[in-house]
Amino acid sequence: MATIQINNLSKFYGSKEGGAAVSGLNLDIRDNQFVTLLGPSGCGKTTTLRLIAGYITPDAGTIRVGDRVVSSADGVAPPDRRGMGMVFQNYAVWPHKTVFENVVFGLRLRKVPAEAARRKVLDMLAMVNLAGLEDRLPSELSGGQQQRVALARSLVVEPGILLLDEPLSNLDAKLREKMRTELKQLQRRTGITFVYVTHDQAEALALSDQIAVMHGGELQQYGSPDDVYRRPANKIVADFMGIVNFLPGTVEAGPNGLAVAVDGVAVPAPVHGTLAAGQPVDLAVRPESVRLAVGEAGTGRLAATVTDMTYLGNLVEYWLQLESGTALRAQTHPLERFSVGDRVNLSIDAADCSVFPRAGAAH
Amino acid sequence: MALLTLASPSRAAALPRWLGLEGLVIGGAIAALVVLVVLPVLSLVAASVWDKGLTGSFFATALGSTANLRALGNSLILGAWTGLISIVIGVPLAWAVSRTNVPAKGLIQLTATLSYLSPPFLTAIAFVNLFSPNAGVANVFLREVVGLDVTFNIFTMSGLVFVTVLHTFPFVYLLASSALQSVDASYEEAAQILGASKLRTALSITLPLVAPAVLSGTLLAFVNAIALFGSQAIIGLPGRVVTLPTRIYALFDYPPQYGVASALSLLFIAITVIALYLQRAFLARRSYVTLAGKGARPQLMDLGGWRWALFALCVVAFVVAILLPYGTLIAVSFSKSWGLAFWQNLTLENYRFILIDYDVTRRAILNSLMLATIAATFCVFLGAIISWIDIRTRLPGRKLLDYAALIPLGLPGIVMAVALLQFWLKMPVALYGTFAILLLAYVGRYVPLGVRAANSSLRQIDPSLEEAAQILGASWGTRMKEITLPLIRPGLFAGWLLVFVPVIQELSASILLFSSESITLAVAVYNLYETGYTEPVAALAIVNMIIIAVAIGIARHFGGSRIGLKTGG
Ligand SMILES: Nc1ncnc2c1ncn2[C@@H]1O[C@H](COP(=O)(O)OP(=O)(O)O)[C@@H](O)[C@H]1O
Ligand SMILES: [Mg+2]
Repeated sequence: MATIQINNLSKFYGSKEGGAAVSGLNLDIRDNQFVTLLGPSGCGKTTTLRLIAGYITPDAGTIRVGDRVVSSADGVAPPDRRGMGMVFQNYAVWPHKTVFENVVFGLRLRKVPAEAARRKVLDMLAMVNLAGLEDRLPSELSGGQQQRVALARSLVVEPGILLLDEPLSNLDAKLREKMRTELKQLQRRTGITFVYVTHDQAEALALSDQIAVMHGGELQQYGSPDDVYRRPANKIVADFMGIVNFLPGTVEAGPNGLAVAVDGVAVPAPVHGTLAAGQPVDLAVRPESVRLAVGEAGTGRLAATVTDMTYLGNLVEYWLQLESGTALRAQTHPLERFSVGDRVNLSIDAADCSVFPRAGAAH
Repeated sequence: MALLTLASPSRAAALPRWLGLEGLVIGGAIAALVVLVVLPVLSLVAASVWDKGLTGSFFATALGSTANLRALGNSLILGAWTGLISIVIGVPLAWAVSRTNVPAKGLIQLTATLSYLSPPFLTAIAFVNLFSPNAGVANVFLREVVGLDVTFNIFTMSGLVFVTVLHTFPFVYLLASSALQSVDASYEEAAQILGASKLRTALSITLPLVAPAVLSGTLLAFVNAIALFGSQAIIGLPGRVVTLPTRIYALFDYPPQYGVASALSLLFIAITVIALYLQRAFLARRSYVTLAGKGARPQLMDLGGWRWALFALCVVAFVVAILLPYGTLIAVSFSKSWGLAFWQNLTLENYRFILIDYDVTRRAILNSLMLATIAATFCVFLGAIISWIDIRTRLPGRKLLDYAALIPLGLPGIVMAVALLQFWLKMPVALYGTFAILLLAYVGRYVPLGVRAANSSLRQIDPSLEEAAQILGASWGTRMKEITLPLIRPGLFAGWLLVFVPVIQELSASILLFSSESITLAVAVYNLYETGYTEPVAALAIVNMIIIAVAIGIARHFGGSRIGLKTGG
């Protein structure tokens, strides 16, 4: 029963004003899930993870594992009694123990007989591709190998919950990609509940069943990768999940309900029920939702000029300027080529857009 | 799925935290510190203001009489000069060893280590043998062989500073060189790539990174210098350079003036606390969690021809600090009668006398060995627990605990002895003249060295290493035994040595606390010196150094862990 239920969790450092590392966090983590805490550096991810592990005591709120309260402001069950696993950002591989001694440590604590423990360790080392290195000291391993030792050490005791704090951030891109795939397979295979911390949205999207986007100690959105990417709850999430254009517009009533007028063109984006006609809004448009065509604009299409382009290999990115002067980024297939200075017209996949009230604008 | 079968470590039901091993150990350490340091110091405070009622007369005398004021002034002068000259000698040597391609780095390391290990009162005796105005062999040589009309007089403030610096410059050297070695070259390269010159880099990057260590070493040198009773008695008293320790000692001549001595001691403590506060303020400015498995790679400077000039300086340091005093002591120890013509009749008689014939020195050697071993072990474990509490827990008042553990650093041994005497005389246990009271004095006095050694090792170890064991189910005891203690083991053995060495040669507390049964090595040396046994004293000094050498060998043997060997440390 490796579910985690976080209710109203807060942790303050220093003064209560603005000193909240985590505030009012609610999170429901189901069994066998890969859940990612995502957000920029300093947003409270590590603090949340360490609260779950029991290293720190919350100032308010509770954490339940299964049906047991493990943390509250009144006290915490210490980490050594939680049966969780944790992979630290700096690996925390013990430098004075060999690879084997590192991995077998948890099994010895559980009084697993020597021969069985040995077999388990060797199996686990084979699983993380470290077979044959069991007598090495950590100082004789590369960063990626140390990372695997840390992983093997926490997995070999078969915890119900594994906490991972930016485990791939110290690896190079290629290895990161490889480990990412392995982690995901590992999670599927073992059924362990993973709580994974990262500031890399691509990593989060690729790995997770559920993503909790955090900012300034607060949860911004909790949902599937598709949800947080295509239906961001607010501008912070929209901005953090990838490149996004915010096009200033106004809500207007159209033939099929509310739409957003941008540069006089109605974009039938899903407008939130709380928004009324006439209200100034920002239309969040991903670069890949913009379609370009040559020539002057027709009805329902926006006129623009290409001001810059970047070749990205699988994509080409264009910087465009609308009639009103608003700048916009678009990404297209490399087969469709435009040049700087070209007059183009564009359409927007309205269904993939989000609409947010414009900050600072009066209602 | 069988996955969850292993999930929880099989452990007994949770005890309340304060009842567990962790709570007991922490509580024990706090209680030990209270009995060893806090209560004796408090009884010192009481004695300084209490004479059948509250009184200020002791402080008035302490601050009013010329003799006391002169002692206070002399101590400050001694400490200031010693600290300053320790920087002048220690920093260049540290820089040479850590950052340049100077040849024979081993020699510098050896010089610093031996200088620190040398008992200051033995160095003092050696230099008295050379430079006492009348009989000093060097003076006799200059007068009678060279024919110069110069006489060096060791019995002066300059002489005292000279002898003291030989003992204290290693504080600056050791802290500065380890700081210099831990500054990774990448910091300096980052500055150089931005266009900073070597000098600019040294001043704006390296210096600020190592300045706290240098200042910290200097303050330690200061605090240690003013607390040395032996050299100040041997060199200061004949030249009428009275300092605080010797003044306090004199106050115990019959009739003893406990109150004034206590008041003077408290002034002494005040000076120390201020120095230590400054030291900690410097260190607190930066956090030193730098080592999470990977070692730093210091940048080495190619000095070209200049390295030979630097090398010459190092050789001079070696000759003056090591060769001269040890050569002298060895020569004296084999002489029938010390003088210019000593080599004409060499003898082993002095060694025979102190090791076999004379039961007092025989007993003293055994006593000191036993006391030093026990005291060093206690100090190291107590120190490890106290610094662990400071660094790893959020226990309220842990800073206070840390300060309390540092107070004895500035208690001259004689003050520690007075405090212990006054405190234990009031207790219903008769400790006077026993081994126990000597042990209490040693552990109390040197626990800061244990704390310091453990502290610097612990700071090097990222807390996540302990946390990783904890989440795997390791209890506090297991974490300590499996992770923390093995990782700080080299530091602990270094700390053990750091305590063992001064305890073997401890004089200033022992001289008030010993009995004929519990006489110690240093007391035996001092008594022999006072009664004019020049040659056996030298033999005893050499025996002392042999004991220290053996202890170092043993500590190295056990302290060298796999990490230690790998990093060449
Ligand atoms: N031990 C601590 N003492 C004081 N402030 C802390 C401590 N740990 C974290 N913080 C603060 O709490 C906030 C969240 O930190 P953290 O959880 O480490 O962020 P993240 O892991 O998302 O980068 C930061 O502003 C950080 O400075
Ligand atoms: Mg973090």
